[in-house]
Amino acid sequence: MSGSALPSQFEGFADARKQGFLTVKNLKDEGKNVVGVFCTYSPVEVVLAAGAVPVGICAFSDETIAEAEKVLPRNLCPLVKSSYGFAITEKCPYIYFSDLIVGETTCDGKKKMYELLSDFKKVHVMQLPQTQSGETAKEMWRKEVSLLKDKIEEEFGVDITDESIKRAIRVKNEERKLLKEFYELSKSCPPPITGTEQLKVLYGSQFKFDYAQKNKELRATIDKIKQDYENGARNVPESAKRILITGCPLAGATEKIVKAIEESGGVVVAYENCMGAKTAERLVDENDEPYKAIADRYLQIGCSVMTPNNNRYELLSRLVKEFKVDGVVEMTLQACHTYAVETAMIRKLMQKENVPFTSVETDYSTSDAAQLKTRLAAFIEMLP
Amino acid sequence: MTKWFVGIDSGSALCKTALFDGKGVTDALAVKTGWNPGLSAAESLGCILKRNSLSRGDVCVSSTGYGREAIDFADCSFTEITCHAFGGMNLAPGIEGVIDIGGQDSKVIQIEGGRVTNFMMNDKCAAGTGRFLNMSCERLGLRLEDIDEFADPDEAIPVNNMCAVFAESEIIGLLAMQKDRSKIMTGVLQSIAQKIRQMTGKVGFTGTAPLLMTGGLSKSALLIRIIAQAISLDVITHELALFAGAVGACVCAGDKGRW
Ligand code: SF4
Ligand code: SF4
Repeated sequence: MSGSALPSQFEGFADARKQGFLTVKNLKDEGKNVVGVFCTYSPVEVVLAAGAVPVGICAFSDETIAEAEKVLPRNLCPLVKSSYGFAITEKCPYIYFSDLIVGETTCDGKKKMYELLSDFKKVHVMQLPQTQSGETAKEMWRKEVSLLKDKIEEEFGVDITDESIKRAIRVKNEERKLLKEFYELSKSCPPPITGTEQLKVLYGSQFKFDYAQKNKELRATIDKIKQDYENGARNVPESAKRILITGCPLAGATEKIVKAIEESGGVVVAYENCMGAKTAERLVDENDEPYKAIADRYLQIGCSVMTPNNNRYELLSRLVKEFKVDGVVEMTLQACHTYAVETAMIRKLMQKENVPFTSVETDYSTSDAAQLKTRLAAFIEMLP
Repeated sequence: MTKWFVGIDSGSALCKTALFDGKGVTDALAVKTGWNPGLSAAESLGCILKRNSLSRGDVCVSSTGYGREAIDFADCSFTEITCHAFGGMNLAPGIEGVIDIGGQDSKVIQIEGGRVTNFMMNDKCAAGTGRFLNMSCERLGLRLEDIDEFADPDEAIPVNNMCAVFAESEIIGLLAMQKDRSKIMTGVLQSIAQKIRQMTGKVGFTGTAPLLMTGGLSKSALLIRIIAQAISLDVITHELALFAGAVGACVCAGDKGRW
């Protein structure tokens, strides 16, 4: 692959997680409060509005799983084991520095893990409804968002003003718009960047805590990529098969999936998961009552913990067309029942959309690297 | 001048090599893969070339199988899924799919309009693979080649455990209860067929054309019959079915214009 030089900001995203460790420590020293979050259902606007720093907790490496398995069952999703492991070993500085951890009753593994976590960390669990339709669910979740506000105000001894929550909404919306604009660059054929590079920015952007600065960097990255592309720079061959990844959250250890795809003649153009479109597509309505608008927006995230999960189907169907996808690869994590069951629905949906589909199950080990490679290479060879 | 292809399918147990003249197989060879997949492949190539009075420059070498990365002298390389499909179509035109039970994994491939349209693979667990059958034969004191002669074609003692390790304990338990070995063997074959059924069910075959069984176990007519019953589809085999992957590697190389 002939490469044009990537913008330097781009590499800045690659190290963001590590650099963020120091930033968070400095923020703590300055007296800022830190709130650890586990999931994209966490309404971080409320945290931001309180002047606190929301951070995503480490959950994507197998280095802490052995430790976690001393307490948790082996046959549990690696994401849950990994994050719990990071918490007990204090290897995740983000958890270590967290004054409060916000969790949601998403899947069974996670919600029970929060109970264990609360033995040694302050945890606030939000009761997430299991459906998005109907007033009852909406009412419940609005109530939960306002309880979170109360909790944070009480915990940090602050008053969240209307002005600050509205500002937080605008800043987060701005970030979402930029992230969307960024990954939508890959709608071009060929895409200007590889899926590995796209993921670096999507994942890394979570660990930049100065929103104004982050949004500026995102803007610069987008402009630079656009400009290079217009000037004829090509990083990906025209022949590369365009792949969309869906399924469980993918980062760190599971980047092996992206690698296997991109080493076998494919290029990942879109992520329909918690690193990508699932989180960035929906904005909070800036004209509505702030807490209601926040609650309504978050509840619509199409995760498999919802039943039915129509929003995932809707988003997937749209993305495969918009990104002119040649094939869809779903990654499920071992023992993630909700996604594993939903695979059958996604397979049917993709049949209807006439898009080739394959689903692979994996964990955070490297033991299946060769098998994944064969499977994904075969899938790419199969694409017309 | 004939365009010659040599396909090498380096499996976990056997290294299969086929010589192909652009239309069909003219020679084939299977040797033990051994500890060095690259070496057994090189020796096989040498042997095939020699006995057909060809030299390396006369042929395009195409590799597949789990050891394909080790065959660094190949001109091109394809995954075993694609190769089994194209090899299958060459050996038995008109099939709707391929069932391959290999040493490390088993797979089911769907073919439509001369292309692979879907596949399922079991590579996470030994149940339903050649390894599982090997282990069972060892426990029962049988040779793999003798399954058909030995297993009871009409009656089975079910081996229910879907995990190969627990299934082994189950077999030990059954033997301790002095159950009939020939019926346990049939139970083992049925459990392999069940694993295959899990995969064919997800692929969704129409049943309009038969499936081809490839790989070493395609020699067992009894296993084929038991699988066909379990999946309610027609299953056929071919005398060169063992070489389907190697043949497919040649076909793919030809399609890609590698020669
Ligand atoms: S997949 Fe679902 S439960 Fe997991 S982080 Fe995403 S939204 Fe949360
Ligand atoms: S991947 Fe599945 S099991 Fe794991 S935390 Fe997310 S929803 Fe739960």
